[in-house]
Amino acid sequence: MKRLNKERVSAFLREMNEIQAVLCPCAIGGRDSILMPLAEGSRQEPVGKTTNSAKGALFPQKEDIIAFMGDRILKRMATEKVLVFGIRPCDMMGIHFTDRFMTRGGFRDPHYSARRDNLTLIVVACREPPTESCFCVDAERKPYLDGGFDLQLFDVGDDYIAVPGSRRGESLMANPHFKESPDGDTVELVEFKRKSLESQGAGPGFSKAVERLKGDGPDEAFWESLATRCIDCGSCVYVCPTCTCFNVFDLSSETGFVRYRTWDACLHAGFTRETSGHNPRPTLGSRLARRHEHKLKFDVLNYGEAGCVGCGRCSDACPVGLGAIEIIEAINT
Amino acid sequence: MAGLAACFGSGAMTNSIAEFEDAEAFLVIGSNTTEQHPLIASKIISAVAQKGARLIVADPREIELAKMATIHLRHRVGTDVALLNGLMHIILKEGLEARAYIRERTENFEQLRSLVEEYPPEKVAEITGVDPLDLEKAAGIYAGHERAMLVYAMGITQHITGTDNVKSCANLALLTGHVGYASTGVNPLRGQNNVQGACDMGALPNVFSGYQSVMDPAIREKFEVHWHVQGMNETPGLTVTEMLDGAETGKIKALYVLGENPVVSDPDAKHAARALRQLDFLVVQDIFMTETARLATVILPASGFAEKTGTFTNTERRVQLSRQAMVPLEGTRPDWEIISDLSGRCGYPMDYHSPVDILHEINQLTPSYGGITYNRIKDSWGLSWPCPDEDHPGTPFLHKDRFARGLGRFEPKEFVPPAEMPDEEYPFVLTTGRIRFHYHTGTMTRRIPLLEREAPEAVLEMNPADARRLRLRNGNMVAVESRRGELRMPVAITTVVPEGVVFSTFHYGENNINELTIAAIDPVSKIPEYKNCAVSIRRL
Repeated sequence: MKRLNKERVSAFLREMNEIQAVLCPCAIGGRDSILMPLAEGSRQEPVGKTTNSAKGALFPQKEDIIAFMGDRILKRMATEKVLVFGIRPCDMMGIHFTDRFMTRGGFRDPHYSARRDNLTLIVVACREPPTESCFCVDAERKPYLDGGFDLQLFDVGDDYIAVPGSRRGESLMANPHFKESPDGDTVELVEFKRKSLESQGAGPGFSKAVERLKGDGPDEAFWESLATRCIDCGSCVYVCPTCTCFNVFDLSSETGFVRYRTWDACLHAGFTRETSGHNPRPTLGSRLARRHEHKLKFDVLNYGEAGCVGCGRCSDACPVGLGAIEIIEAINT
Repeated sequence: MAGLAACFGSGAMTNSIAEFEDAEAFLVIGSNTTEQHPLIASKIISAVAQKGARLIVADPREIELAKMATIHLRHRVGTDVALLNGLMHIILKEGLEARAYIRERTENFEQLRSLVEEYPPEKVAEITGVDPLDLEKAAGIYAGHERAMLVYAMGITQHITGTDNVKSCANLALLTGHVGYASTGVNPLRGQNNVQGACDMGALPNVFSGYQSVMDPAIREKFEVHWHVQGMNETPGLTVTEMLDGAETGKIKALYVLGENPVVSDPDAKHAARALRQLDFLVVQDIFMTETARLATVILPASGFAEKTGTFTNTERRVQLSRQAMVPLEGTRPDWEIISDLSGRCGYPMDYHSPVDILHEINQLTPSYGGITYNRIKDSWGLSWPCPDEDHPGTPFLHKDRFARGLGRFEPKEFVPPAEMPDEEYPFVLTTGRIRFHYHTGTMTRRIPLLEREAPEAVLEMNPADARRLRLRNGNMVAVESRRGELRMPVAITTVVPEGVVFSTFHYGENNINELTIAAIDPVSKIPEYKNCAVSIRRL
């Protein structure tokens, strides 16, 4: 355990930027912030909660899978080392969730895995909820992590208390900007965690909704009625830390052939439409049901863990008030 | 635009988008808002779903908003004037009109009263097919709420009676005192991100920037002095439809097309292509190859939005700065540079060094943009005109206390049927529109695979009853024929369209619905009747 003075963060990140790309939360206007390269944005302090989740660092909105011309390969997958500073515990839990099926089990996504191996993650625990939409505790998660990160920072005023979670994290703390912890930081951490848990609001009633969905669950009419509000924009999917569905496209031009993939969204009709034209999820209501049942019911049944980490980003992003919070509330009423 | 200008003195949305949230009632007529203005729709949806606002949708199609509407008035295509006159008839009969407002802020009321007297619900039902009871309910809702927003788009304007339709919308709002306050007004939703800006900048045949008439000698003199020229033409120019007619007859020899694709977007599109081929010289400036650019003598490659700096004026009259984010592709240049360079070579050098210089000139010459300076918009979300000077905060809603023209003017209009009604030979009404996944002629969106996956081809929406009669199953190919051409496309069987009406979109150049549409135009605005023509349908 060490301490990092907040005024040293920028200098530390600039040093890190010499040896690897550094991404950090940057304000982009209004209430929005996103992860941006240190050199390109204006770093935001406190780090807040980015509008998008951190998944883009592992699974970019658009990425080339391969590019070639004739028999010459023009581009292979990225192998650059990247350090991400300032993600939140919900982001990290989202990454743990996606790691499960992108890096383990029967299938290993080579692009995700290559990025994952090269990624160092510095998490900033939440002293209090960064936005009013946060409901991680209600979603059976915590506003800090017990493991699985490289480095976790706890905001205790002028300093962060830094706790390593991996060898990479330990080696980061060897940097001279980190100072030895004074006595009593262990107690301070316990206090931080207690207050942090207490500062969370009541939440929409996550576990009740999960139980309802596992049981009889709401009927088709329920979802269709909610769907009259949905405008099929896909924002909830794009900002979600655990949504990793993608589509693959080929693009040819005079300079070569590129196969790339982009984020996709299960709310769009074309996502489930079959070649014959038949669509097993033909209505927006049926697709809305699929999305939320997947996260709140089937992930729980399959993995013992919901596919929603309670970050509330979908509720922030949805222009018609149909994020996870509102869906959970509707299921419960 | 001409219609609203005649009634109010200004042809733009009277309100700002943010005000939609606080409206108590909406009348959405001829706007498929969810598909075409989804973020404005999201405000309507939230107001209805979360705040209990009442929603009247007037549309022949069962658009998405209709599913949450308090009342859906499903009038026949092209009968808007009759429908609106019918609403006004009921409002007057029931005494729901805003008497003090009419007395103090409007003129020509008696003419309106005597005209709408002739539109009792039974007659209106006959013309429009709308149940008199629904009409009465809708009139009660619209007139009965203080903050009622009337929203319209191309479903109102793309008719030979487009200007009459707009005037009838304005009449209804004047009658109920629904203009000149926050969260109530008449709101034409403009489609493109900058179509309002293009109109504001005088990309119209009869005005300079800020709707200053070319026929006014004092205005001409102002521009002549500033631009160091003499003898500017006082005669209004031609509209696009007139230019193409001129090209066909040989009156027009050369055409310079910027960011338009008339070969796909014009009605009776084969006629448009034929007309363009008659030209001696065609210049097309665009960011991608288009069907129109293929016919060009010279193509000028322009930069896309992310490659240039400038301003966009959106549908709520808000002027916003858009900053360059990337270096232009090799060989492309921003439009303003191309135009300046071309002008120099034609013998009139323009010495703008940046878009900031151009905005400065706009500030000097355009009263409504006088205070919308670069410094004020560079770090803000922009300003809505009118904004006459640098201390002015901008204008979220128009016509407060006084209409731009002084008094609001009732412009009563009689119902006139569409140019081409269905008959034995062509028994269906074809109405055209758009879907959310593609933008206009698809020159941009059809290059995006995910959007293309969602909507890869033109389809013809048809009511199940009609499909049964023609023995069609979903996805069957049909031949759709009008007096101007024939296309083949699959049918999508759906109750979204009423019986006797088929619908398709104009996004697909390879199967262009505008080869079927009619080039009949509104006599004032010259907008073609894209929303109504007669077709026959044959099973293949």
